[in-house]
Amino acid sequence: MMPKVSVKNLNMDYDNYVVMRNLSFDVQQGEIFLIIGQSGCGKSTLLKYLLGLKPVSHKKIFYDGKDINSMINLPGFYGEKIGVLYQGGALWSSMTLAENVALPLETYTSLNGKEIEEIVALKLSLVGLKGFENFYPSQISGGMQKRAGLARAIALDPEILFFDEPSAGLDSVSAKRLDDLILELKESFGITVVIVTHDLASIFAIGTRAIYLDIESKTITAMGTPHELLMSSNDKNIIAFLSRGTKIT
Amino acid sequence: MTGIAELKLGNETIAIISISGTWSIYEKHPHAEEFIETILSKPSIQRVDLKFVDLKSWDSALINFLIRILDSCKSKNLTIDIDNVPTGIRRLIELSKTSPVRTTSPVSQRKPTIFEFVGRVGLLVFFSLKTFLGFVGKLLTGIVFFVRGKVKIRSREFALMLQDVGVKALPIVFLISFLVGLIIAFVSVLQLSQFGANIYVADLVGIAMMREMGCIMTGIIMSGRTGAAFAATIGTMMVNDEVDALQTAGFSIINFLALPRVIALTLMMPLLCIFSSFIGILGGLCTAVSATDLTIVRYCTQTAKAVCLNDFFVGIVKSCFFGFFIAAIGCQKGLQCRHSAEDVGLTTTTAVVTSITAIIIMDAIFAVIFSLLGM
Repeated sequence: MMPKVSVKNLNMDYDNYVVMRNLSFDVQQGEIFLIIGQSGCGKSTLLKYLLGLKPVSHKKIFYDGKDINSMINLPGFYGEKIGVLYQGGALWSSMTLAENVALPLETYTSLNGKEIEEIVALKLSLVGLKGFENFYPSQISGGMQKRAGLARAIALDPEILFFDEPSAGLDSVSAKRLDDLILELKESFGITVVIVTHDLASIFAIGTRAIYLDIESKTITAMGTPHELLMSSNDKNIIAFLSRGTKIT
Repeated sequence: MTGIAELKLGNETIAIISISGTWSIYEKHPHAEEFIETILSKPSIQRVDLKFVDLKSWDSALINFLIRILDSCKSKNLTIDIDNVPTGIRRLIELSKTSPVRTTSPVSQRKPTIFEFVGRVGLLVFFSLKTFLGFVGKLLTGIVFFVRGKVKIRSREFALMLQDVGVKALPIVFLISFLVGLIIAFVSVLQLSQFGANIYVADLVGIAMMREMGCIMTGIIMSGRTGAAFAATIGTMMVNDEVDALQTAGFSIINFLALPRVIALTLMMPLLCIFSSFIGILGGLCTAVSATDLTIVRYCTQTAKAVCLNDFFVGIVKSCFFGFFIAAIGCQKGLQCRHSAEDVGLTTTTAVVTSITAIIIMDAIFAVIFSLLGM
């Protein structure tokens, strides 16, 4: 089966640093794919490449077998093909939650005002924010902002959802709630999910497959299920990363 | 009792450092350099022993002291035994030694020569100008598409923006313009009264406000007020990933963020400029009437005679350009902001300085152009 996202021999740099080199991996339809590694290893930079926010050479990143460079300017790539939840939610602060979710719908669909209103209410209720339509981002908590960001990310029912550190800054209860929500979205809508994280609880709770970006060798040093990575890897960095405070039986 | 360290020579080859007392970074304590100097001055010393006697308490001061001693001994191949070091201190020393050191540096630390410096500045100016012209090109394309109805601007946000850059700026424009008119008239009265030519105060104030001061003062006010606000707002959006979120939601950053701001300020600037010019003339009138024998009617009649339609249009044309470039610079600087709060401040400052410089340069260019056109 053709992978949903495919990365082939990608080299990444950031401010003249070579961050990572020779990255190759595939993300399959319907899986929750994790990009893990220590802080500063380049996970968020990789996400920017995957989202087309950083220029990339031809034939390095593919969506459904098509080069990202031929797709990013096509209508529907952002929104319909991919949706993103950023670390802090990245809600547009001058708009209410309802307006945040409605904006992509107003711009890219031919729905009328009432239909948009209904879909906005539906998306907000899916993330547990029913009744918060007229709140501004500054009036709600960090966890709620993330959930509102998720409602916006799924506004156009994207095929692939990207998450940048979804549990960062959340307490364990809120983080678990977000994990459950991600699982639910994956199960219900069949969305493919790519998550950049270093949160161990999330890694083992929801990850289907993961790649480990090694800060020292500047490449992927392991790929597999999170348990496989922990049990079969000989790499001291991976073991140290995955075994912190976690007992695997 | 403060921190004490004493150096004793056990025999020809052994140096003993006795450490005692309370070591605190807030109190005076011995410095490692004196001990290192003494030890290294005696080439016969092969080993250094550390002895802890009656050590009451310690903090980073003692750890730093010991690390300096250890490093110096290691570099001179002297044996030093740290077994006697209290466990807590030993652990912290070991921890500091195990921390990985980044060996590569992103930028050269070498101080550039004068030629390199000039070259770098030249390249920076060239590439900044190139980037800005590219940005202006995108904006102009956006304006063309907007006029042809291919790009839509959210009307509610646009109306709020017009209010923000226009109506809300009226009080400050009023104050500054009134005072500028007042000052020009005051200086003119002082000089012209010596020749009995008080009536020409109206000419001076009218022409100065209509042609130059109205648009320049409004431009400077809008650079500091609106241009800075654009840069800070967009810069903060960059820091909060809101701009990335817009991009990954499929919106054009230029059309969504910059275009409404640029159009709003380009439309509002001429109106503010006209307002500023008339308020400046009002300021001049107040001075002239109160400081000379001129009447209100005479002043107004003289102003109407002196100021022609050309002067009015010169001010309007210039203010349109000023508005466009103030907004464009503010938006572009905001979009160049990196992901730190410090950068937002820097971006805002740069936007204001660049806008004001651009206004003065443009005004000089316009002066030449209008002079060639005989206006």
